[in-house]
Amino acid sequence: MKRGWRLAVGGWRGSRTSRDGSLPSTANRQPPTVWRRFRRSKLATVALAYVGLMAAIALLAPVLANRKPLMQRTAEGWSFPAIADYWVDDPDIELAPQATTFALPAPVPFSPNTVDLAIRLRPPGGGHHLGTDDLGRDILARLIHGARVSLAVGFFATAIALIVGSLLGALAGYYGGAADWIVSRVIEVVLCFPFLFLVLGIVALFKPSIWTIMIALGLTSWTSEARYVRGEFLRIREVEYAQAARASGARDGRIIFRHLLPNALAPVLVSASFGVAVAILTESALSFLGLGVPLPMASWGSMLSKAHEHIEYAWWLVLFPGLAIFTTVAAFNVVGERVREALDPRSQ
Amino acid sequence: MTTYLVRRILYAVLTFLGITVATFALIHSVPGDPITFYLGRGMHSVPPEVLAAMRRELHLDEPLPQQYLRWLKGSVTFDFGRSTVDRRAVRDVVLEKLPNTFQLNLFAFLLAASLGVPIGLWSASRSGRLTERLSAVGFFLLYSLPSFWVALILIQLFSVRVDWLPLFGMNSDDYPSLGWGGQLVDRLKHMVLPVLTLTYAQLAIFARFSKSAVSEVIRQDYITAARAKGAGTAAVLWRHAFRNALLPLITLLGLVIPYLMSGSVIVEQIFQWDGVGLLYYNSILARDYPVVMALTVVTAVLTLIASLLADILYAFADPRVRLGEGTR
Repeated sequence: MKRGWRLAVGGWRGSRTSRDGSLPSTANRQPPTVWRRFRRSKLATVALAYVGLMAAIALLAPVLANRKPLMQRTAEGWSFPAIADYWVDDPDIELAPQATTFALPAPVPFSPNTVDLAIRLRPPGGGHHLGTDDLGRDILARLIHGARVSLAVGFFATAIALIVGSLLGALAGYYGGAADWIVSRVIEVVLCFPFLFLVLGIVALFKPSIWTIMIALGLTSWTSEARYVRGEFLRIREVEYAQAARASGARDGRIIFRHLLPNALAPVLVSASFGVAVAILTESALSFLGLGVPLPMASWGSMLSKAHEHIEYAWWLVLFPGLAIFTTVAAFNVVGERVREALDPRSQ
Repeated sequence: MTTYLVRRILYAVLTFLGITVATFALIHSVPGDPITFYLGRGMHSVPPEVLAAMRRELHLDEPLPQQYLRWLKGSVTFDFGRSTVDRRAVRDVVLEKLPNTFQLNLFAFLLAASLGVPIGLWSASRSGRLTERLSAVGFFLLYSLPSFWVALILIQLFSVRVDWLPLFGMNSDDYPSLGWGGQLVDRLKHMVLPVLTLTYAQLAIFARFSKSAVSEVIRQDYITAARAKGAGTAAVLWRHAFRNALLPLITLLGLVIPYLMSGSVIVEQIFQWDGVGLLYYNSILARDYPVVMALTVVTAVLTLIASLLADILYAFADPRVRLGEGTR
């Protein structure tokens, strides 16, 4: 079993895994065992909690950072402006000053796109905990809303990659022969292109938007998933339950999707966790280069490109968005690495 | 061996064709053609016969398969047509920028390899100890650092706080007036920050890769045998483990090039380093399709050649690959 050294770079996109692309067997490993092994690492547990926190921030962004109050009482009675506008993408209309008898502000009482030139480039402190940018927008509010972009891109791009990769990997591994040959050649071609070249080209030449980014990332980063699934299928396609299903007359589609795929997915989880990290990193790189999520939508990467413009005097513009990207990416990588170790029976 | 080589090279040719088809298909599925973009809004004021003539000149009036074959023929002979921005031959533009990118990446690669491999070896030998585990976490975090952030921090530290190194560019303004020694120092000063930015992530990769390669070898029986006959740790590590771990390291050759190229786009854009990464970025913005296609194909083919070389080297070094299991 010459596998370990190749697997250890699983997070690095484009890495070749083993020749058959498989991870160590997971067939006889119960989920609780894996979970217990995962929990053994404090760092990974913290990282997982951090991922959860980020997801919560992303989901609750409009409630967490909003210049409209969470709850207020006017002449017309009680209302919940921030919550009511959850699905509205920051409508930057001028707020009519309302006579409120009571108002409960959002935890960060600023919207991400509210421009206020009177408070341009304020350093952290004085109400704006992380400072303001060159248009007087609150950095913390933009960071909170930027989490939505990053996590949405990370999850959806990975979901696309997972679907494409699993399908192709399953076809290649189950049928072998010509199907396997074709999928292997396609993977070889995709791996030859520098990842960022490909994604940058697709996103910029079509239309830069959060959807284009997700699709471009998904369609270019499915190769490691395909390899893992293919390897697992090669290993399990002849096991007893597959043969039993075949003997009882199940069609190929049913065997693949009902019997084999669920058993082949565990190792793909690892690759998915690394995939989210790569997707978040790439989205922020694209936005940093000005070819990502269109402005004024807040994205950690585009905040950093602002920082580049004002690098000579505004350190807070550099520090906070970068920290957000780094910690989130690191958390996903740590989780993926730990899951890999927990699934690997050799690394006790 | 010959069978293996022939098969491997045939596959490489196939992959090359795949690369060109993918590139061509991608560019041609973009809505609008270079001319519609180039002329922008002034389009309707240009007489249709002029447009037709321009399309004819770029062969945009031919059916797609014919266009592809024409372009493929050109690519094989390094004739990628002319840039739509400045009408220069694409080959000349690319050849002019390639050495600049090479300069940065060579330094970064050597630095990362010469530091990363010993570190990997060291951590394999101390596997499980506290210092090793801490350093593993450290490298893992290093690997998660976005390069553009690192670049900004480096600029902040070394160019803004203390004026030691230049903010961006390849040369100072007075570069032409300097002697060759002065020119060398000036260029090196400009290289420090971009090279550092390119190095740290690779360093993490090299360290991890060589660590796992060596730890894999350490589990083998012949290492136990060497230990048993009384060889010292250092001897076992260098003479027995490292040599055998070198094999998998060869494959890194083929893997690292696309990675370097991706990094170059970001680093060259930040530091305005006049290489192919910056050229690619600018060409994308200007929709300079001939340059975009040429760069995509050239970098992909570089990767292809490197992985082909790596596989051949591997086959020479490891008889198991050419004799049996490896011939897929």
